[in-house]
Amino acid sequence: MNKRYVMVHDENKCIGCQACNVACRSENGTPEGVTRLQVRVEGPFGDAPNLHFKYHRVSCQQCEDAPCVKVCPTGAAYVGEDGIVTIKEDKCVGCMYCVAACPYKVRFVNPETKATDKCNFCKDTRLARGELPACVTVCPTDALTFGDANEPDSEVAKLLNTKPSYQDKTHLGTKPRVYRIPTKRGGIES
Amino acid sequence: MIKLDRRNFLKGAGAGSATCALATMLPGSLAALEKEPLKAVGKEVASICEMCSTRCPISARVVDGKNVFISGNKEAKSFGGKVCARGGAGHSLLYDPQRIVNPLKRVGERGEGKWAEISWDEAYEMMSTNLNRIKREHGPEAVAFSSKKGSLSGHFFHLAKAFGSPNTFTHGSLCPGAYVIAAKSMFGTKLKRDLGNSKYIINFGHNIYEGINMSETRGMMKAQSERGAKLVVFEPRFSVVADKADEWHAVRPGTDVAVALALCHVLITDKLYDQAFVERYVVGFDAFAAEVKAYTPEWAEGITDVKAKDIRRIAYELAAAAPHAVVDFGHRATFTTEEFDMRRAIFAANVLIGNIERKGGLYLGKKAKTYNKLAGETVAPKLAKPGVEGMPKPTAKRIDQMDKQYTMVWKNGGVYQSILAATLEAKPYQLRGWVMSRTNPMQTMTDRAKVLEALKKMEFVAVCDVYISETAAYADLILPESTYLERDEEIADKSGKNPAYYVRQRVVETIGNTKPSWQIFKEVGDALGLSKFYPWENMETLQLAQMNRDGKALRHIREKGYVSYGKPLMLREPSMVAKFIDTYANARTPDDDGTYASALKFKTPSGKIELSSAAVEAFAPGRGVIQYRDAPLKRADELYFIQGKVAVHTNGATHNVPILANLMADNAVWIHPVTAGRLGINHGDAIRLTSSVGSETSYAMVTPGIRQDTVFAYMGFGSKNKELIRASGKGLHCGNLLPDSTAPVVGMNLHTTGVKVEKV
Amino acid sequence: MNNIWGDMAQYDPVTWNWVIAVYLFMAGLSAGSVLIGIGMRWYSKDNKTESPILKAAAIVGPVAISLGLACLVFDLTKPFHFWLILINYNFQSVMAIGVLALLAYSPLGIAYGLIVLRDELPKWGLGFLSPVAEMLLGWRKAIEVLLFILAIGVGAYTGFLISAMNAYPMLNTAVLPALFLVSGLSAGAAANSVVALLMFKVDSHDNELSRMHALELPVMATEIMFLFMLFCALYFKGGAAALALASLTTGVWAGVFWIGVVGIGFGVPLVSMLMPAATRHTRGAMLMVACSGLTGVLALRHFILYAGQSYIY
Repeated sequence: MNKRYVMVHDENKCIGCQACNVACRSENGTPEGVTRLQVRVEGPFGDAPNLHFKYHRVSCQQCEDAPCVKVCPTGAAYVGEDGIVTIKEDKCVGCMYCVAACPYKVRFVNPETKATDKCNFCKDTRLARGELPACVTVCPTDALTFGDANEPDSEVAKLLNTKPSYQDKTHLGTKPRVYRIPTKRGGIES
Repeated sequence: MIKLDRRNFLKGAGAGSATCALATMLPGSLAALEKEPLKAVGKEVASICEMCSTRCPISARVVDGKNVFISGNKEAKSFGGKVCARGGAGHSLLYDPQRIVNPLKRVGERGEGKWAEISWDEAYEMMSTNLNRIKREHGPEAVAFSSKKGSLSGHFFHLAKAFGSPNTFTHGSLCPGAYVIAAKSMFGTKLKRDLGNSKYIINFGHNIYEGINMSETRGMMKAQSERGAKLVVFEPRFSVVADKADEWHAVRPGTDVAVALALCHVLITDKLYDQAFVERYVVGFDAFAAEVKAYTPEWAEGITDVKAKDIRRIAYELAAAAPHAVVDFGHRATFTTEEFDMRRAIFAANVLIGNIERKGGLYLGKKAKTYNKLAGETVAPKLAKPGVEGMPKPTAKRIDQMDKQYTMVWKNGGVYQSILAATLEAKPYQLRGWVMSRTNPMQTMTDRAKVLEALKKMEFVAVCDVYISETAAYADLILPESTYLERDEEIADKSGKNPAYYVRQRVVETIGNTKPSWQIFKEVGDALGLSKFYPWENMETLQLAQMNRDGKALRHIREKGYVSYGKPLMLREPSMVAKFIDTYANARTPDDDGTYASALKFKTPSGKIELSSAAVEAFAPGRGVIQYRDAPLKRADELYFIQGKVAVHTNGATHNVPILANLMADNAVWIHPVTAGRLGINHGDAIRLTSSVGSETSYAMVTPGIRQDTVFAYMGFGSKNKELIRASGKGLHCGNLLPDSTAPVVGMNLHTTGVKVEKV
Repeated sequence: MNNIWGDMAQYDPVTWNWVIAVYLFMAGLSAGSVLIGIGMRWYSKDNKTESPILKAAAIVGPVAISLGLACLVFDLTKPFHFWLILINYNFQSVMAIGVLALLAYSPLGIAYGLIVLRDELPKWGLGFLSPVAEMLLGWRKAIEVLLFILAIGVGAYTGFLISAMNAYPMLNTAVLPALFLVSGLSAGAAANSVVALLMFKVDSHDNELSRMHALELPVMATEIMFLFMLFCALYFKGGAAALALASLTTGVWAGVFWIGVVGIGFGVPLVSMLMPAATRHTRGAMLMVACSGLTGVLALRHFILYAGQSYIY
């Protein structure tokens, strides 16, 4: 059975501390000025005193029906055997079609390699060594869970089966693989 | 404490001499050096972070000679193997081109920003010439020594002691001092919080979801997300902890003490408190109860804007969850000049629900001596405190020793800001020199203008730091310390519910011409002619001495980085005591109720918890009993100005670190829409805040997450010296708006003041 | 909450900039010019002479597409690796299909240009190419047909390329390829006029020229209709798509649309039709109308590209 790696971001536990942001940068050598990952603390929404923040993780959604893969003219953007949407830097010409086509706007041009870049679940760094992605490894409040959703015993499978979750922009049919557990205030009532 | 002299040390010194891989002596900051790949010391090294004072255990690995991937050390269970953004950015500090890697001496006017590189020998000569001259002409007490506590500060204060100056200061009076003194006055010792097991947590602006303290942050998040704990937050601002709370009450700044007292009132008046506990362990209850009679929730509502019925209800909920409930005594204790009574009122609430040494409550740290005694065997090696015989006793009094009310502060870090009056007004006598290490009072002390004046008036200022901080910019001599990733340190005690030790170990070879501060201050000591007080040669001999020459135990700690001994124990928690006696055959026999309640003793004059303290009354008349005192913090036509911590920066230290500066460089001011509307201010407008001591400009962030009478800014920004290129001129300098004020009994700085806000 | 997560510049939804807008213009221009040139030749059934319109198209076609392709290559972040796109193909991508089409269209356009301009070649010092032109003459009909079909492809494919991105409501619409094709025709006609008038000194009352002008009104009407359909679709879709209608009323692109596309691009030609015939058919007037048409199409490409990318679903 093929692997179906998913990431679950629990917005209840997330405190927006950017530990993930920094760890990703350190592990993957992302140059200054661009980033693979950000957590935006949006708001506060609501009427005082019933306010709430939204902790919004912005990173590649690893769509199962990825627009970026469809539009890449050279096939530099491809889906690997492990199901992870990756970039073959030496095939990329930098036409930016994938950057424009991504509905989540998470692809960017790496100023050092001049090719496009994005989160790839630490595929060639930590996953290759059998470790969890950098962000998951350091998150202080354990807000991130990562694993193979096809494994019924995996933490992610259990999490997705027991807690309500939502995904970004599902109306576009991208079938993202980043799931979000909404905060108990605002969003979906559980 | 082992009494050591040179002979003993050299006998025990088995390991080789200190290695310090000096890079070639190139001038300037790190930018001037050739960019060399980082030289890793090992594949994955366990060490201790120093990006903030939580000092989490870390595991660091050099990646491609360029970055260091830092995560947590999984051996420390309560830290979960995690690090925060600042911890992860340690390598960004390590290889910041702006880091100072060579000693510098001032060549222009103080603060002009003109520096010349000098050799370490020249630097030491400068130290000895200037400090010894001041000592000769005015006595060693004319030099103040200040450093943040922890890491290698012991070596720094050792130097001060050897030099003969009594004027040593930590940053205690600028931040946490008050709750330490409150705890010591009541319990004789500091207490810890068991947030992770708490069912009900009352929090007075202790924002551990932004001012991250890893084990406490994780503990509280677990309690909330997995164990159904209820969190009630009293804070004037809608911070992240307020967001995660079940209830947020926008309390008036500085008035938390009234809420705490009202809670105590309800607990006592409605007989919700643990009477048995109070009877057994507490003295001074009657005086407290009498005082607290007047502090009704209705009275508190008028002062704090928290509804009386809410206070009453919360008190009942707290009592219902007791003893596995806690009222968090906070950390930054600078909200009001009445901090002493505020923190004592909070501790009192905990005492009343009898949560001392219960799961989810407060407890005393179990160091090796206590633990081994209870266990009846040596579970944990005792950490020796190597000392030196024949240290000089200073003849002069401390500058803050003139006022008896600060009796408890003298041994708990001192009143740091008393340096200002001593320098500017020669009160009680003239200070002429200031030596600093890992401290940045221009940012962290209140009244920046005054601090600046004091620095300018000094005859000699020496600063040991990694950057030319806003304070170092006014030094005569800058001594560049190696970052924490490049140095080895003594074994540190991280005991909690059971003993634990951890150790800082270098991850990469030393960069540039820097040295660890223990070495700097030893060599300064040598230059000052105080060599006889420095019998140790290197860090390894010190570590061995700490471990009582037990090489095996030392190697074990260095291998794991963090070692925990035994099982967690809380004296009055039956389940934990049961597990304890199961594990240790010779353990102390428990009491009839299956706990070690009889072993619970307090290092107070009475041996019990002193809810009212005769000792305090003696040195600070009128302060023995906890009492409410009005503390006006602003004028009627002003807004409250408060500050707080943000998750991506540490106080006034990290704003120049590249990765962190890129995350956040500015601290826009939080202002309520109604207030902003009244002042004609829109979101993003440039605004000016003016207080009684200074004026700062910034941008407005209009948000409903703040009280209408309050404005807020994250602290640590707005450094004004040009050497910090990423931080300079960015944001609002909080210290420049806060007046110099010293709280009674605890000697704290005050971080709440009044400001006028206008559109620029 | 203050921004504590870092720089957001990379998240600007406008990815492609004016260089691509110019390319889109050039591609549409080239295709439209060729379509009109060849179309009119077939319609006139005149196989003897090369009409000045056709000659204009023979220049505008290849030159515009070459300029456009140059724009494309220089806009790449790795311009010296552009050859990678010529040897690696992902046929799910409209861009890859476009590359193939352009690979065929460009040389064919140059070949056709040589054929049509075979008499001018010696006059321009390109006499050494005459033998090539003569050789290609034999294949004229085949080249013409192929080129015509490819021109339709090139004219429309840029529309397909942009409309393939479902992230942008204003772009992800069925009418975009049609809009681009029709506005390409409009630009092509205008460019053909300019080149014919200026380079080949055609008389402003020339028959062919007049017949081409007769196309202008229907083409413009179709263009306006397609634009109307595009905005209606946004309106009726509602939600995030309807928000994109703000591009018509706010910001700099509203100005570009109403002044550039409508005012200059449609307005000037329409108003000129109200002028007395004598004025209308002066060289000056015709050139002004043609240039306005070109400006309008260039403005349209900019508007669609920038405003379209500014609104995300």
